[in-house]
Amino acid sequence: MPDWNSAIKKIDNDAASVNTKHHSELFISEVEPIIKLNLRGKSRDFLSMVGKILNIILPTEANTSTNNEYITALWFSPDEWLIFKNNVTNRDTEEIKIEENLFKNISQKKLGSVTNVSDQFVLINIQGKNVYELLSSGCPFNFNDFKNKKGAVTQTILNHTDVIIYNEEINKINLFVRRSFSEHLWSWINDCASRL
Amino acid sequence: MFLINCPYCGERDQSEFSAGGEAHIVRPKQPTELSDDQWAEFLFMRKNIKGVQFERWNHAHGCRKWFNMIRDTSNDKIQAVYKMGEKPPIK
Repeated sequence: MPDWNSAIKKIDNDAASVNTKHHSELFISEVEPIIKLNLRGKSRDFLSMVGKILNIILPTEANTSTNNEYITALWFSPDEWLIFKNNVTNRDTEEIKIEENLFKNISQKKLGSVTNVSDQFVLINIQGKNVYELLSSGCPFNFNDFKNKKGAVTQTILNHTDVIIYNEEINKINLFVRRSFSEHLWSWINDCASRL
Repeated sequence: MFLINCPYCGERDQSEFSAGGEAHIVRPKQPTELSDDQWAEFLFMRKNIKGVQFERWNHAHGCRKWFNMIRDTSNDKIQAVYKMGEKPPIK
């Protein structure tokens, strides 16, 4: 049985109960468990098959995303996407169902590849009016256009760590970080937030 | 520090990229027929010029795609960026 435990709980006793942190203008929380799948493919058949299974059109424009009631798809590169569920779900049953369906119709038919990255990435939600002050203090990316564009996506570096940032709403972002870097980044984010 | 216009993601900071050396070096069609010197020439010898150079770069902390760049190594001025497989826009 896989361990769905939080990446943050074990390092941050203050956050142990709900995996959240409050700062004066910021609210930071780990969102889990969330289903995350990496999709890779190039052909038109791949795109239409994903659309048929998930009822979503994968974004083809750079640095954008698409979503429906249940799922969001983030553009990574011309042939790579990340899809994740919009809400915390029961991974045991739902994840297996979605992954199996995609694997059967995409990987096995050699249209592309499907990789379960639910445990690879940790999803941290940051909201509040100082979100971009926080990010700008450790990131070379120019957020001027990004912050006003709902649904924008970028892959960049935050405090020397690879991150994926998704502009969910104005002043509310979802940040994906690799699990092995998540403790370090969580500590850095909270330290930085406390100084803003 | 300078900005690089990734052909897939747009303008990003140089720290997101990795340099991949000289571009457009053609792999010999019959490596087994080459002498050791010729093979070493293909593997290791690079122009490394001061001036306009054709280079490969990788957007390592972004889309992870490789692309080509024409850069003046003396002042880091980027003259063109183009995708892998495309012909250089300038000679």
